[in-house]
Amino acid sequence: MDIDAIKTQVDFEIGSVDSVRSLEAFRLKFLGRKGIIAQLTSSIPNLHPQERGAFGQEVNALKNKVSSLITEKQRSIASGSGESRQRTYDIGMPGIAQELGSLHPLTQVLNEICGIFKKMGFAVVEGPEIESEYNNFTGLNIPLEHPSRDVFDTFYLKGKERLLLRSHTSPVQIRVMKKQKPPLAVIVPGRVYRPDAVDASHSFMFHQIEGFMVDRNITFADLKGILEVFAKAVFGEDIKMRFRPHFFPFTEPSAEVDISCIICKGRGCSVCGKKGWLEILGSGMIHPNVFKHVGYDPKKYTGFAFGMGVERIAMLKYGINDIRIFFENDLRFLKQF
Amino acid sequence: MKITYKWLKDFVDIRVSAQRLSEMLTMAGQEVTSLEKRDGDVVFEIEVTSNRPDCLSVLGIAREVAAIMGKKIKFSLQPSALNFQLKADSRKLRADSQKLIIKIENKKDCPLYTGKIIKDLKVGPSPDWLRKRLELVGCRSVNNIVDITNYVLFEYGAPLHAFDRSQLSGGSIIVRRAKNGEKLTTIDEKQRVLNTDNLIIADYDKPVAIAGVMGGRDTEVARGTVEILLEAAIFDPILVRRSRQKLGLQSESSYRFERGIDPQIVEQASLRAVALIEKLAGGRCRVAGALGVAQSKRRTIVLDLSRVNKNLGVNIPASQVKKILHNLGLRVKAGKKNIFSVEPPSYRPDLNLAVDLIEEIARIYGFELIPTTQPAIRPRVSRDNTQELVSLTKRVLVGLGLREVITYSLIDKGLLASFGSDAKGAIEILNPLSSEQEVLRPALIPSLSRCIAYNLNQKQDYVSIFEIANTYSASNSGPKEELVLGIAFSGSKTLLFEQGAIKNEFGLLHLKGIAEVFFNRLGIKDYDFTEQGNPEVIPVYVNKEHLGSMVRLSRTVLNKLDIKNKEIFALEISLSRIFSHANLKKQFAALPKFPGIARDISVTLEQSVSIKQALAQIEEIGKPLLKSARIIDSYKGKQIPCGYKAFTISCEYRSDQRTLTEAEINPAHAAICRELAERFGATIR
Repeated sequence: MDIDAIKTQVDFEIGSVDSVRSLEAFRLKFLGRKGIIAQLTSSIPNLHPQERGAFGQEVNALKNKVSSLITEKQRSIASGSGESRQRTYDIGMPGIAQELGSLHPLTQVLNEICGIFKKMGFAVVEGPEIESEYNNFTGLNIPLEHPSRDVFDTFYLKGKERLLLRSHTSPVQIRVMKKQKPPLAVIVPGRVYRPDAVDASHSFMFHQIEGFMVDRNITFADLKGILEVFAKAVFGEDIKMRFRPHFFPFTEPSAEVDISCIICKGRGCSVCGKKGWLEILGSGMIHPNVFKHVGYDPKKYTGFAFGMGVERIAMLKYGINDIRIFFENDLRFLKQF
Repeated sequence: MKITYKWLKDFVDIRVSAQRLSEMLTMAGQEVTSLEKRDGDVVFEIEVTSNRPDCLSVLGIAREVAAIMGKKIKFSLQPSALNFQLKADSRKLRADSQKLIIKIENKKDCPLYTGKIIKDLKVGPSPDWLRKRLELVGCRSVNNIVDITNYVLFEYGAPLHAFDRSQLSGGSIIVRRAKNGEKLTTIDEKQRVLNTDNLIIADYDKPVAIAGVMGGRDTEVARGTVEILLEAAIFDPILVRRSRQKLGLQSESSYRFERGIDPQIVEQASLRAVALIEKLAGGRCRVAGALGVAQSKRRTIVLDLSRVNKNLGVNIPASQVKKILHNLGLRVKAGKKNIFSVEPPSYRPDLNLAVDLIEEIARIYGFELIPTTQPAIRPRVSRDNTQELVSLTKRVLVGLGLREVITYSLIDKGLLASFGSDAKGAIEILNPLSSEQEVLRPALIPSLSRCIAYNLNQKQDYVSIFEIANTYSASNSGPKEELVLGIAFSGSKTLLFEQGAIKNEFGLLHLKGIAEVFFNRLGIKDYDFTEQGNPEVIPVYVNKEHLGSMVRLSRTVLNKLDIKNKEIFALEISLSRIFSHANLKKQFAALPKFPGIARDISVTLEQSVSIKQALAQIEEIGKPLLKSARIIDSYKGKQIPCGYKAFTISCEYRSDQRTLTEAEINPAHAAICRELAERFGATIR
């Protein structure tokens, strides 16, 4: 008889043993006085003397295996409170568990970005959403009646004081610098507001992350270095970056930062407007007038600042083409993240 | 702004392709946003930043191209061939003709006004080359005179205006503020009512143009016009901006006036237009007048080379710095060792500080050549742990199966009204674009409920959401922002077990459960949810402080939200205040050395009896052996008489000194049963 075939048979039959009675039948079949193993043992003398040793060992191993399976089964049947245990489940049925909730995709992106900067040593600071004109504009070197303010259309609050809803997170620069002396490395996430007509790419409320660093000897090259670490961490090591001269009233020199289009890898597509580049943030060296407003000596300190729209980054990252979907909070959308 | 490749070539020798040129411009800060081949030319769309009004012209971009490529610009200042001279040493121009009187009410409103009278011209269509160029840059052709003023505007960046002189009474020009209520019909046939904020051009009798914004209909150059007054001037940018905003009139002219015009280019543009008119419309200019300042103040900026390299983190040699500045049209005088005095031209009023020059050097040198370095960051640890606690809160709630939402902080008063709030005390927005932005929300529940309504509409049968955001309220010390947690859910969830499906209908106890898990995680022990008269609104107390409420929305509110056959349960609590009670410190307590013994009691109580009080009393009575008493089952149904409720309470007895014996537990347990029966009227089953 073929020992391997018997082993397979043992494995198969022990599976259907589910009661004391069927276990006894199993035992008799294999280990009984006239059982299969007894038959095997009795066949040994008929073998060629050279084969006997090896065969005998295999039979012994089989015997041990069957004995231990029986002991094991006895134990499991006993713990089944004496009754025979039926298979009560179909493993093809849905598993039973509490469903996990989820963080809003914007929170996930905010956490990721803040996490990268925190690892580099930046501290996270938040500021109020209701701001003064001074912190939102004047302190940041944005004259009140000037075309440079056109891009910062702003919601004002009814009331005697001219208070507004911050149109960017930059006022937190003023707040932090007025309170603390350099060195500073700070990151500021938060909601900002602009009275823009709502469409696929505009929302009157959105999120920004502002970052700034001030110390002696901070250079534009440092700004490039920090933002490169950030962009590669978010969009991948093989992303290309470029710094394009631009204008912001609160930085000089100022730069807009583009990354090579993550959709077409720079070849040009509808997402990047055939340019091969995607603008992701604005940045620059903090303007000396801003330092003067907060009482820092611009001869002693230099610093850089940057700001980005979180929705924009999230849209690029997840391939979302309509900003409004973030604020609709459709569960079918939220459950994807 | 649109500009064409060939037009640029009029001013600078360009040897590279339009594509390459656009890349060079973009990387030098004049971002070319689109490039389009049309009619044998290439049209560039350039996004000119608000600090560079000098680049709002062909000449301006040509100067940039020249600076980038190190080429010479084909343009030089022309002396006035007319009856006054623009002298280099005199900054003032004066009207010197009796035939053209220019009066300026306030020099601040209008620092420079030049006028030229051109007679015997013939108004007609423009030649093809002129029409085509204008059309390429997006300007409609009107007639030769108007087209020429537009052409020069695009070419030199100085807006011009031509008046039909026969319609100007008294032959003079007065630049003044409008009187309140004064009226002018502009060339778009609209009557504008003016006030003292509007700067206007007037003749003796009436306004004829809104300075820098739009001309009047009655003095417009039309087919029969034979004599014009050509205006080239500078108006106060803020006044132009206000007029433009108030009247809602954006034009190529106002756009440039708001950003500032180079005083030196004004007369040049006027001369260029006169030459073109004489050539194309056959007129003659014999009378000219001007008043005001035709040059900006000269200024010198001191630039320290070491500062350039220190700010940028590069090492650009002095010779290269000098060359870059020179190519940009700046005069550079070397002073002491690597310290330059630099004088910007009149068309660059944006250059005032050393950093302005550093930016110029950097962008022409090339941002891409600046290396990347890693600054040493000296981290500081903040004592404020709000963010950590917010993040912990979110993790707890997500673990409990809730979805985070982000809803608008601005809402409509109508939404508040449907919650029975009259929006009084809510902070109102002065300039909302739509009714959805009327007020800053004083609470999260209205937004969350609307979000639930939206999702129920999408045929979701179970919605459980939360948001952490500010709410806003007016107070004596000004507006206040408070960080708040809002939770809301609706519907039922079917859980499939081996025994079959169980429909879990959600209610206030689920909210309470979530809150308890959250409080426990924050290490808050003293919290309370006691009903105070209204079973639909349960106040939440933490350390005796009222921090929020749990609510079951009324049918009226649900109807207003268009929710049928569903309920909404919501919780709103102040995180700013709860976090001050948080205690995340952990302290190890030794594990019990001796086993505990559980005894269950099944009781039936009258509906009105507080189970919470009963449990509290049991724990009091059972001291010190009783370690905990908790409900492990509750019954409803036929066996329980109407007006009663039934529970099984499990009591755990344990000692830290020894294993308890039956003899020790029995009297304690009996005392508890007695107390339940006597004090709470319980029937022990």
